[in-house]
Amino acid sequence: MIRSARIGAVVLVIVLAGCGGVKTAPPGTSPPTATQAESAKAAPAPSSVTPASPPSPSPPSPPPPIVAAQPPTVAAQPPTVAAQPPAAAIEPTAPSGPAPAAKPAARAEAPATKALAKAPAAAAPSAQPSKKDIAQEPEKPKAEPPLDLASLETRLKETKAIGLMTKISLKNQVDDLLNQFRAFYAGKLQTTLAELRRPYDLLVLKVLSLLQDSDPTLAAAIVASREALWGILSDRAKFANFASN
Amino acid sequence: MSKRVIGFVLMIGTVAFVAAPSLAADDAATRKDLTAVIALQGLPCGEVISVKTQGDNDHIATCKNGNRYHVFLNSTGRVVVEKQ
Repeated sequence: MIRSARIGAVVLVIVLAGCGGVKTAPPGTSPPTATQAESAKAAPAPSSVTPASPPSPSPPSPPPPIVAAQPPTVAAQPPTVAAQPPAAAIEPTAPSGPAPAAKPAARAEAPATKALAKAPAAAAPSAQPSKKDIAQEPEKPKAEPPLDLASLETRLKETKAIGLMTKISLKNQVDDLLNQFRAFYAGKLQTTLAELRRPYDLLVLKVLSLLQDSDPTLAAAIVASREALWGILSDRAKFANFASN
Repeated sequence: MSKRVIGFVLMIGTVAFVAAPSLAADDAATRKDLTAVIALQGLPCGEVISVKTQGDNDHIATCKNGNRYHVFLNSTGRVVVEKQ
């Protein structure tokens, strides 16, 4: 009887430990959604407390782009009028590349800014990040310094957001693109840099789509270093230096 | 004797109960990985719903849309996705 009781106790402990392990396993994309839900819940409260927010118009420009989503709310309108011009003024400066690449760049920046926008949203309850995160696009990516290639490579290798086979597949595609550039600079490939920009943008978007949910900080870093990377690829001397390394 | 057998069966059941979630987690990670690989190749899949592992880096993936793909790492280090 004592033996069976001991066995039963051991079994119970192991089962409980197993259940504890199961609960911790699933988190992936759910935490962000939970926080979004919380922020969404928190959003109505500030809107009802809008009389308290009038002091907020005095603060500087960063919050206003978020509030730009609140044309219906009366109290928040004064800051939006002041905030919209800076956002519009920054946007034209952001896309430095050619016209076809501008749209993918804007798309890629959106997820990154979503992730970056979560912290301010949690800190400032008056913000409503649920729908109009796009208004913050121009400011956040500029704040993060561009990556150097070694750091980018290391972080991509170490991230757990991408599986092993996916990483190998991505590396294959990066190698293919680099081979295209080698052939282009060697005169073996009859194309233009503008045409090579398309597969480059596509590859960056693939990487971003894989990272944006599970590793938003790395996705934001890649967005920030996107033009710097293209600057290396599109310059014959820099590319030769890079390829030799 | 019967108590020992009962204890042994309980232990086996407990181990299976505890190990199942970890295996399921690995399976989910593999499915997610293969889903990404197939999507990277531009092949229609949607989502991998089941995986049959044939070896290291060698899987048969069944997609939500019914397509089956052989995803493996070839001798040159390239990930190959073949529709079956």
